[in-house]
Amino acid sequence: MTATPESVVHPSSDAEVAEIMIDASREGVGIFPLSSGHRAHPVRGERPYLELSTTRLDGIVEYEPADLTLTARAGTSLATIDEALRAHGQWAPFDPPNVGERSIGGLAAVGDSGPLWMGYGELRNHVLGMTVVTGDGRMLSLGGRVVKNVAGYDLLKPMVGSRGSLAVVTSVCLRVYPEPSVDRVLLLRRDRLSDLVAAAHSVGTAPVMPVSSVLVDRTGVNESPALVIRLHGVEETVGADQASLEGHLGIVFEQAPSATALCTAVRDRGATSNVVLVASALPSALSEVIRALERLEPETIVADTYAARFRVGLSQADPEAVGNARASIERLGGTLRVARFPADGAEVGPTSEPSPAEKDLIIGIEKTFDPMGVLWPARSRR
Amino acid sequence: MTRPLAPDVVRGLTEIVGAANVITDPDRLLVYESDGLSAYRVSPRAVVLPGTSDEVAAVVTLLHLEGIEIVPRGAGTGLSGGALPTPDGVVVGTARMNRIIEIDPENRLARVQPGVINARLTEATQPYGLFYAPDPSSQSTCTLGGNVAENSGGPHCLKYGVTSRYVTGLTVVLAGGRIVKLGGAGRDSAGGLDLVGLFVGSEGCFGIATEIEVRLLPIAEGVRTLLGIFETMEAAGHAVTEIMGSGLLPAAVEIIDRATIEAVEASIFAAGYPTDAGAALVVEFDGTEAGLDLGADRAEKCCFEAGAREVRRATSEAERAALWKGRKKAFGAMGRIAPDLLVQDATVPRTKLPEVLARIAEIGERYDLKIANVFHAGDGNLHPNILFDRKNAEELDRVERASTEIMHLCVDAGGTITGEHGVGIDKRGYMSLVHNETELEMLRSVRAVFDPDRLFNRGKVLPDPLAET
Amino acid sequence: MSTTTGSGSLASALEAQRERLLPCVHCGFCLPACPTYNRLGDEADSPRGRLHLMQAVVDGRLDAGSDAFHTHIDRCLGCRACEPVCPSGVEYGTLLELARETATRARPQGKLTRALLAVMGSPALRAVFFLGGRTLRSLGVARLAVRLIPAGARLGGIRLAFAMLASSSPPGRRLQKAPVNAVPSRAIGAVAVADDDSVGPVPRGSRGRVAYLEGCVQRGLFERINQATVRTLEANGYEVVPVAHQGCCGALHAHGGDLRNARRLAGANILVFEGVEIDYVAVNAAGCGAAMKDYGTLFESNQEMSTRAEAFAAKVRDVTELLSQAGPRRGAPVSCSVAYDHPCHLLHAQGVAQEPLDVLRAVPGIDVRLIDRADECCGGAGIYGITHPELGGRIGRDKVAAILREEADHACTPNPGCMMQIGAGLLLEGSSDVAVHPIELLDESYRRAGYYSATGDSQ
Ligand SMILES: Cc1cc2nc3c(=O)[nH]c(=O)nc-3n(C[C@H](O)[C@H](O)[C@H](O)COP(=O)(O)OP(=O)(O)OC[C@H]3O[C@@H](n4cnc5c(N)ncnc54)[C@H](O)[C@@H]3O)c2cc1C
Ligand code: SF4
Ligand code: SF4
Repeated sequence: MTATPESVVHPSSDAEVAEIMIDASREGVGIFPLSSGHRAHPVRGERPYLELSTTRLDGIVEYEPADLTLTARAGTSLATIDEALRAHGQWAPFDPPNVGERSIGGLAAVGDSGPLWMGYGELRNHVLGMTVVTGDGRMLSLGGRVVKNVAGYDLLKPMVGSRGSLAVVTSVCLRVYPEPSVDRVLLLRRDRLSDLVAAAHSVGTAPVMPVSSVLVDRTGVNESPALVIRLHGVEETVGADQASLEGHLGIVFEQAPSATALCTAVRDRGATSNVVLVASALPSALSEVIRALERLEPETIVADTYAARFRVGLSQADPEAVGNARASIERLGGTLRVARFPADGAEVGPTSEPSPAEKDLIIGIEKTFDPMGVLWPARSRR
Repeated sequence: MTRPLAPDVVRGLTEIVGAANVITDPDRLLVYESDGLSAYRVSPRAVVLPGTSDEVAAVVTLLHLEGIEIVPRGAGTGLSGGALPTPDGVVVGTARMNRIIEIDPENRLARVQPGVINARLTEATQPYGLFYAPDPSSQSTCTLGGNVAENSGGPHCLKYGVTSRYVTGLTVVLAGGRIVKLGGAGRDSAGGLDLVGLFVGSEGCFGIATEIEVRLLPIAEGVRTLLGIFETMEAAGHAVTEIMGSGLLPAAVEIIDRATIEAVEASIFAAGYPTDAGAALVVEFDGTEAGLDLGADRAEKCCFEAGAREVRRATSEAERAALWKGRKKAFGAMGRIAPDLLVQDATVPRTKLPEVLARIAEIGERYDLKIANVFHAGDGNLHPNILFDRKNAEELDRVERASTEIMHLCVDAGGTITGEHGVGIDKRGYMSLVHNETELEMLRSVRAVFDPDRLFNRGKVLPDPLAET
Repeated sequence: MSTTTGSGSLASALEAQRERLLPCVHCGFCLPACPTYNRLGDEADSPRGRLHLMQAVVDGRLDAGSDAFHTHIDRCLGCRACEPVCPSGVEYGTLLELARETATRARPQGKLTRALLAVMGSPALRAVFFLGGRTLRSLGVARLAVRLIPAGARLGGIRLAFAMLASSSPPGRRLQKAPVNAVPSRAIGAVAVADDDSVGPVPRGSRGRVAYLEGCVQRGLFERINQATVRTLEANGYEVVPVAHQGCCGALHAHGGDLRNARRLAGANILVFEGVEIDYVAVNAAGCGAAMKDYGTLFESNQEMSTRAEAFAAKVRDVTELLSQAGPRRGAPVSCSVAYDHPCHLLHAQGVAQEPLDVLRAVPGIDVRLIDRADECCGGAGIYGITHPELGGRIGRDKVAAILREEADHACTPNPGCMMQIGAGLLLEGSSDVAVHPIELLDESYRRAGYYSATGDSQ
């Protein structure tokens, strides 16, 4: 069963968010926090709920370039943040799909890192602090705005990636970085994706770590499957790193002519398909996972080869095939989950779940953040 | 005094781990009365040294049934009293769980028991060209279990990030003796919640980590180390701002102040730093050989522009060790010049460093205390170390008051009460400076999800009025 | 500061050393270096734990006669691996001696330990003891006993004692049979082998006058090493001066906490050596050398003696230090491989690591293999293997296993005590090898080179 929202609320302050949560708790109404620019997932259930949009929680609160930290309210778009950072020669090193259109709160709630994970760490490592409003309207400030902080248990970690299931994010403090002076994108093209797996594998064991390494069925710019490698640094190091990689792989890369366009195309590829699945595994299982995913006959397939995270775009999902893919991937020690549900609310199929013991703990944590269960719509689609 | 354990409990423990690994003689227990923070002393009722996850689980089950508190202990190098025994508690030590279970070079992962020493892991992975990045200054002795519990950092975490970035999976024993596997490198936690990330930094209050999976990195091709000598701390601070703002990404940026230089040079560890200098700055770059000199040249220029008196550069491992010596020996050197040392730990936004340092100096003067600063300047993590003599009660009181002021100062500057050493028993009282009651209550409830009976490390981390009952 | 305040206060010896305990900041850096902690996992068997117990005794919180103090202080190998890793420079070795003194005053040592110390402290008893030992050794009784006494039995300590005795036999013909053709030597550590033959013959005496410590165990069982000491030093330009009437250096007594007798013996030797004009005192046993270099501390409560003791200590060198300082001169090839182990009292207590390897490098054809964890104690630690058969046995077996893994022709270590412990371990593992001292190899190399055939300096 799929429920539809009664309406959308647009609070403009943390206090308003808290009020909404308290009211919802009292009235028994569900709340589905939404980030701007992101399609709402159809929600499973029959009870009434409201969508909570953070678009009015907008703007950069504090940016101290010399500290390399920036705090913005949840609804602030990453494009806005990027602009502010670039003006000071800085940037935020994550590249999930359609990053520009997304809001920082939504992104932090979803926890997508993108392939730059390889060079800079996951998104959860860049989030230094957050303010959130819990399911029962408590306003909490988690973390802070310093890079190192161990004052109390790290509640930021379960918040990042919780997809609105624990609390509404109202602001985020990010650790930012100086822009690299050279951003070189290297390309290796082959006729079939499987012909690139060995090379991708070698990148994972090379003495030099690029900042990202992505296998893509088609780049959108180039029509053939490619391995896209990104190197950051100064001219000298990037040159040396390229030579070292080429030596290790025994191949010569093409240098992509328009790096930005290519990276954007790779980053966003397939992210707006009707159904998007994300698989994860160990890098050693790269080719097996790709094989399992290819059986779903996806429109697109993109693999971050370092994190061994795979994104497949499907026009529609066959629950049985998805179930089979999940089973094969889980046998390889990996997981398969849905990143985007079909607009019509159709069933996607059984995806991976935490273990029963983990689930117990997760439910316990959900109850501490959302004792009244107000955020059930988000949980139904985590 | 502490109550001895009932004979049948001792018998039960002995059956699980063997007589040699259950310690109950009060005299022997004395050696467990402190961790790295020796200002506090509490003797445990017993110490148990299990060898496997299953033994840990059995021990936890037994103690939980008896309602006996548990204090996990690694190498006992913690500086916040995290492994300090509780008066009614039993210490469960991981010293015997020191096996590296697996090194997986293909996936750049390692699985270890919690008692494995940080530096041993890097030693073991070296043949594969890999290393374990988080490098607390205590890495030659602290355990990965302790690192996980404290979410430890280290000088090179400026570039590489702290422990939580590298832990991909955990096996933990929770209250009641449940063995639970959390996460795993191949598994995406977005389907649930990041429980591994939550457990890291839980200071032994959630349970005992009995197996740890970590990510490894390829060893950098080369290293360059610079030592800048400055007339004043301001100048050194200025150089750091320049370096960090220049787009360079140094692996480490560390400062020691005049008081620390004096301590080092007055000790048997003299490192050849000029004693009239205001500050010494160590900057290190690692990575691709081709870029290192460039980075070092630029950093050197930043130093001179900021008014450095002298910049030394290391090109060999021996020279590198020499430049680091003053920084690395600072802690020990202070131990030589004063009977007692309070190692403080706090973080402030980096731009606030000069102001905060000036205020700390002023606090030191006001309380007539010697405060020597050693810090991870790149990420604003301060270690103001207060030298004192605990036998002087009046001085001890001044130390406490000065400490409190420093904590307030750092929090007011937008910082926090601990950057890497944890809250433990020592910083419990300062938690309300950074968290309001709602937040503290939240932390308590989250802990209760893992450990509803407050079996593990009771009374630590949270200022819990019930803790003492 | 006095360390000889009579037996009134049990903690007196330690109490007086409060200043030495204070630098310990309880950081735990010493834990992983400690062989007993690494195996038992109990902090009471770690350096920090032992220091903590000492502090507790000083503070009056622990009885010096308690089981805990006695057991854990006694269980320390005295290997001093905890010293170089300590960031605060805690003088553990000195504190241990004082703790042992305190502990033994509170509660006398075991009969075995006392008996052995009494033997070493008296020239007459010593002579009889070692004569008996040599006789048993030469009659093959020692080797036979090792075979006859079943492993793991209650008599394990005695079996080990016989094994140690047997293992003090010379490598003899085995070494002399080593081939003469040179095979390239493997680089040791990061230091490449210098292959040039730059150090030629040197006139005797040009490098200074040297007296050497004859030592109890050395003179008793390892006379060949004493002879090699004289010959190799002379071949490298030193003039070796005999010193009559020298006695035991007192190291065993000091390590055992019998500081009174240690001072008595040390004082006697200082006096004897002061009677000859020398630049150096050479020592070929690491434990003796370590103790002698530390005589200043032993006498620090006595103004007059401490100055003399320091002057004496300043002349003390391990024989490999003197040889290394002289080059050493290269000899003729002795083709064999050796599995090398560092003696604790050379590496940790004296900071001598490279010099013995320099000595080996002067022998063409030797393939030196540094064993795994060569910096860890072999478990010999004087009579540790006999007084603590279980733990000592474990530590010893780990060492022997590391040596056997190298599959070398000989085990090699520059300290008679370790040679016996390792040799005994090898024997108990069924190997027929004994351990050799580096200067034995150098000696053989020089013999082959003919440096000893001519009268005068060298060929
Ligand atoms: C000289 C010196 C320098 C230091 N430098 C640094 C530094 O640069 N950076 C830094 O971050 N820290 C530093 N520390 C602090 C300390 O070394 C770290 O906190 C370290 O991680 C503690 O590890 P340990 O094994 O000693 O743990 P312990 O001190 O034994 O325990 C620490 C905490 O972890 C818990 N614990 C231990 N094992 C487990 C387990 N298996 N499961 C669950 N909980 C467990 C304990 O209950 C306790 O709360 C330093 C300490 C010293 C003495
Ligand atoms: S390393 Fe030194 S200071 Fe640290 S605990 Fe050991 S003896 Fe004490
Ligand atoms: S001397 Fe050796 S055995 Fe004794 S405490 Fe030090 S390291 Fe351990």
